[in-house]
Amino acid sequence: MASSAVTPPRRPHRWRRVGRGALILPGLLWTLAFFVAPLALMVVYSFGQIDIITFKTTFGWTLENYRQLNNDIYIHTIIRSLEMSAGATIGCLLVGCPVAYTIARSRGRVQTLLLLGVMVPFWTSFVVRTYAWVNLLSNDGLVTRALHALRLESESAQIIYTPMAVTIGLIYTYLPLMILPLYVALERIDTQLVQAASDLGASRFGVFRRVVFPLSMPGVIVGCILVGVPATGEYVIPAILGGDKTLMYGNVVANQFLRVGDYPFGSALAVTLMSLVTVFLVATRSRLARMEEIT
Amino acid sequence: MRRSLPSPTAVFTGLVFVFLYLPIAIVVLNSFNADSALIGWGGFTGKWYSHALSDQRVRGDFVTSVEVALLATGISLVIAVSAGLWGRRAGPRARRLLDASTYMRIVLPEVVTALALFLILRRYDVTLGVPTIVAGHVVFNSAYATLIIQARLATMTEVLEEAAADLGAPPRRVFRRVTLPLLMPAVIVAALLTLSFSFDDLVTSLFLGGTNAETLPVLLLGLIRLHVTPEVNAIASGVTTITLVTFALSAVVISLRGAAGVRTARIEPLMAEEPA
Repeated sequence: MASSAVTPPRRPHRWRRVGRGALILPGLLWTLAFFVAPLALMVVYSFGQIDIITFKTTFGWTLENYRQLNNDIYIHTIIRSLEMSAGATIGCLLVGCPVAYTIARSRGRVQTLLLLGVMVPFWTSFVVRTYAWVNLLSNDGLVTRALHALRLESESAQIIYTPMAVTIGLIYTYLPLMILPLYVALERIDTQLVQAASDLGASRFGVFRRVVFPLSMPGVIVGCILVGVPATGEYVIPAILGGDKTLMYGNVVANQFLRVGDYPFGSALAVTLMSLVTVFLVATRSRLARMEEIT
Repeated sequence: MRRSLPSPTAVFTGLVFVFLYLPIAIVVLNSFNADSALIGWGGFTGKWYSHALSDQRVRGDFVTSVEVALLATGISLVIAVSAGLWGRRAGPRARRLLDASTYMRIVLPEVVTALALFLILRRYDVTLGVPTIVAGHVVFNSAYATLIIQARLATMTEVLEEAAADLGAPPRRVFRRVTLPLLMPAVIVAALLTLSFSFDDLVTSLFLGGTNAETLPVLLLGLIRLHVTPEVNAIASGVTTITLVTFALSAVVISLRGAAGVRTARIEPLMAEEPA
């Protein structure tokens, strides 16, 4: 963008131009070999079929694998997994809003410290962060005991290896990714607008509903993308906190490849997940673009 | 600003910070807990660490993790710097393609991209191991590194490089003496981030490591699923310290405020762009 107005090089030797073009080669070749080609092969596989006896894959253009998705077990898992990631996204939004607001309201050193405070847990190991909840959510863990004491869960209810445990893990892991864009959006709001609204007689809630909330919408959407997308394809958190009982979409796909060995069906599952994510991204992106136009 | 009574949102924020730190704090505390059943506090001990450090498997996996992280970082940096320099001269359409590729490598679920790679490697009977893990890590790490390098290049003018070229420096020397030093802060930040992403990665390492290569996070996952021992807490604390220190170093390199920006680099392509 900034470099578009630059004058062309004075002595455009032919070899130099060729040299410049070659700069893209490392990235291009790597991306083609280890990203584009594998995904293309996966799409091809998803229309192929596997012989149950010889485990040989034959390529054809059958929709059988996609039809198999309609099976109750898979539909059920996919829907429950989408529910969990939606729940985690809403949870992050509810927990993140007040925090982002507090950070945006604070100034100077305090603000820097608060921002850093949100970031640091995100800088610790992913596996360890999830593992930390195994202690807390196990049957004699701190959180389980607290929930029982507060009568939020019945005495006998187990928390670990349930959708609730996985959702808590998701919220915990992805919360910083919600707080930061929210904070950026809130910070960008012109305080004069807030002032004007309350001068014109809007109540505190009115100011929030009519001014602050609409203006922070871009932050909300970006936060929902940053939490919702990785949460939908999550593998590690359900693998640790869901045990073998509460699987998410990512685990079902991985099992098809690593345990069952049905590559064509696994590919169909993976391609579907990829499509879901892409549709979600395209939809939110155009929404976001329109919003930027208005403001 | 009232000083006397903290507002409800401030109190809530405090609670959220407890929520963020308590779990990790308990892991670290338990790594020093002498009570091997981990029911109460049995006194301070360092024996879990010495157990972990003398464990051959832990040592081997640590070496593998470092190996993978260094290789993936080196390759990612070469790709990111050259792609960044290329993008500076490329036309708008080529640039948009580069940006789209970078964006896709970051947003597509890692499970999908890693399994696709697993599929093609199995199809062509490639043995899984350190090289295949590195291949997978570079896919997403080079994308993050490209974003960081591009951000730095966007703020750089080419005046100095042109001056050097006018004074007769051949392109290679312009790159080595002018461009690279100017890019250095971004290269260091990109290196530290890719090091820690790679060191911390589980999904790609698990799927593409096969039985030949095991990194520390993969080992941890296995141990956690099997049985939680006090030693696990020591390994976990160790791993988390390494990741944290690498990130903290990159935060020192850029300013504190900038640090928040880098980790949210995935936000930028979403928030900016879309010119009228």
